Amino acid sequence: MGNVTNENIINLNTAITFEAETFRRIQPEEYLRRYIQQHVRPDGRSFNHFRKTTVNLSCITTADGSSMVRIGNTTVICGIKAEVSEPNVNFPKEGYLVPNVDLSPICSPRFKPGPPSEQAQVLSENLNKLLKNSKVIDLETLCIEEGKAAWVLFADLVCVNYDGNVFDACVIALMSALMNVRLPEAVYEDGIVKATEEKTIILGLIRITYSASFAMFDGQHLLVDPNEMEESITKDGITVVVDETGKLCNIWKTGSSCSSEQLKTCISKARDRYADITSIIEIAKQAIKKIE
Amino acid sequence: MAGDRRRIQGPEVTVAPIIIKSSDKGKIQLTDANGQRRDGRNLEDIRPIFLKTGLISQANGSAYIELRRTKIACGVYGPRQTKIPSFSGKGNLNCEIKFTPFSCLKRRQPYRDAQEKELSQLVFEALAPSIRLDLLPKSTIDIYISVLENDGMASCFAAAITCASVAVADAGIEMLDQVAACSASYIDGDIYMDSDLVEEQRESGSLVLSYMPSLNEVTHILQSGEVEVSLTTQAIEQCTDTCSKIYSVMNHSLLESVKNRIQ
Amino acid sequence: MNTKNIVTPGQRLGFAQDYVAGPGTYVRGNLLYASVVGMKRVSKQTAEGETLVLTVSREKQQSAIPEVCSLVSKVIRITPKEAVVSIMVVDNSPCKEDFQGIIRQQDVRATERDKVKIHESFRPGDIIRAEVISLGDARSYYLSTAKNELGVIYAQSIEGAAMIPISWQEMQCTKTKAIELRKCAKPF
Repeated sequence: MGNVTNENIINLNTAITFEAETFRRIQPEEYLRRYIQQHVRPDGRSFNHFRKTTVNLSCITTADGSSMVRIGNTTVICGIKAEVSEPNVNFPKEGYLVPNVDLSPICSPRFKPGPPSEQAQVLSENLNKLLKNSKVIDLETLCIEEGKAAWVLFADLVCVNYDGNVFDACVIALMSALMNVRLPEAVYEDGIVKATEEKTIILGLIRITYSASFAMFDGQHLLVDPNEMEESITKDGITVVVDETGKLCNIWKTGSSCSSEQLKTCISKARDRYADITSIIEIAKQAIKKIE
Repeated sequence: MAGDRRRIQGPEVTVAPIIIKSSDKGKIQLTDANGQRRDGRNLEDIRPIFLKTGLISQANGSAYIELRRTKIACGVYGPRQTKIPSFSGKGNLNCEIKFTPFSCLKRRQPYRDAQEKELSQLVFEALAPSIRLDLLPKSTIDIYISVLENDGMASCFAAAITCASVAVADAGIEMLDQVAACSASYIDGDIYMDSDLVEEQRESGSLVLSYMPSLNEVTHILQSGEVEVSLTTQAIEQCTDTCSKIYSVMNHSLLESVKNRIQ
Repeated sequence: MNTKNIVTPGQRLGFAQDYVAGPGTYVRGNLLYASVVGMKRVSKQTAEGETLVLTVSREKQQSAIPEVCSLVSKVIRITPKEAVVSIMVVDNSPCKEDFQGIIRQQDVRATERDKVKIHESFRPGDIIRAEVISLGDARSYYLSTAKNELGVIYAQSIEGAAMIPISWQEMQCTKTKAIELRKCAKPF
């Protein structure tokens, strides 16, 4: 990759030369195109390469379940707090799972303090849909007393470093934090819920789903796991969510059209990625067992 | 905040369950017979500090601090264009501290509450004297602090100041000196340095001191609760000593980051 | 590299009477302190006798802010009186975030200032090289292109193709050969 970065890039149409960094700032699209033409990405990855992914479970002791996920520089922390409430009258046997994504101003210069940005709302909504449509968790297991009391799991996802592909990080963080949740035994007595001090109950997850995201450049180059710069330049993106049997759960496609071959490639890559994430989380589980 | 359509809403009223203590421990003993605290520290010891810079790649400067269970991340953005439409020959400093919803024992609401606003103002007051804002006309420095886990409010506040000061230095912003901060609690006539949440619940008052060790100047001091003057004086002395120790940790982490970058 | 010379903000570097305080340092009382993280360097200045200048060169650059020097910016919108630009690169170092600048009608070129028409000099989307002339008003820096080497360095024609400069106030589309008016920078 050295042959692109170290030379000054000459703007072909005028005889003015820029340094690589300046060129990137002024004409980001052209900058990325020069790399893509040489079959490499600006950070040195090949098109099919995911960034290094790590999962750290039980990192927040004040939460009932927590997980920190890093994909390259992108960092998302998910903390789950369990509280008690009355079930919805329409679903007296069901508890609640409330996922919210916070893209705080700490993670990127593009976010400002205040209520959630549009992007954060979209992320939260997509996660919520994924949980509901794919039936990740049986909400009836969260019931304490039918029609009287049920658990409310607040899953708050905080992005600490925004370097692209936050949705994938959020899905992994949410799933692994759900696996990490330990609830106390709770009983309903005369209008109040009493819980034991020890937290032992593990959530029963029906279906565990992971996602893989892709960016499409110039309608033909498929970039796996795009970083912030690639995401901001490419207008088209594909996100594929699969479960443990390789079944599809969700596909989000933004921007212009893509061929069915490209979609098939994305799906098969998402399945490969699923296996990788499973083993990463297994390692994380072993790591906390050792500490305990 | 019912009906906030920008967030996924849970049920309107939720409460934390009442926890039945399996055994009646009564009052927890804060110190044992040898004068050691529950985690093996002496009264004047602080928790071990883990401090690292540059974890947030998108920020101009960043730092992460961990004191056992207290975990805080800080990102510094700027100098960037001031959005306030008034000319100023001096730079603006903007501090914001945010507790994540899962950071405390009870779930915090995601929107900014009064306590966060107050703490943000206090962090600003502690840091502003150390930064050379006169060199940055028309610009703003934004300091965002995110508390990931909170184990003691006063110590958390002190750690946030320390962390933010290192992040500002990491951003390459000119400053007079770094600000180290530490807290002390008054419990039954004793001074507990850097107390955790359990100890804090028993305190009669607390002190947070922000200090520039190299210039030997105090930038901020916050004393609350009822306490004898002599005890306060002693606490201030202990805090300044401890700040100098924290200062060496801060310098060390900055030097490490430079060494790593050179290699 | 010698790691002993790395200093941190607030570190005492010496007595004020021994050195002249260079960039990255400041004097307080009779002592000289570092104000940034970086490498300490002592250099000789022989302008007025032998004086030693102590500087701390930043190891990690602060995000660039506009000062009086040349910079590269992009035209955002134009009005009959001025062109609003966003400053992207200051003196060869890219800013992390854009700053807003204004080129007023009278600052476009050095001669015949009263005849300048903004729309015959810049169009939105053009990349220009300019100079800061003042800190400007509350919102914007004031910029000038009144020098030969300043002006449009990259522009697209109505067709969307790149254009090449053919004189200091005309550019030609590489596709349709149509000529458009711009205040061009002299290539150097």
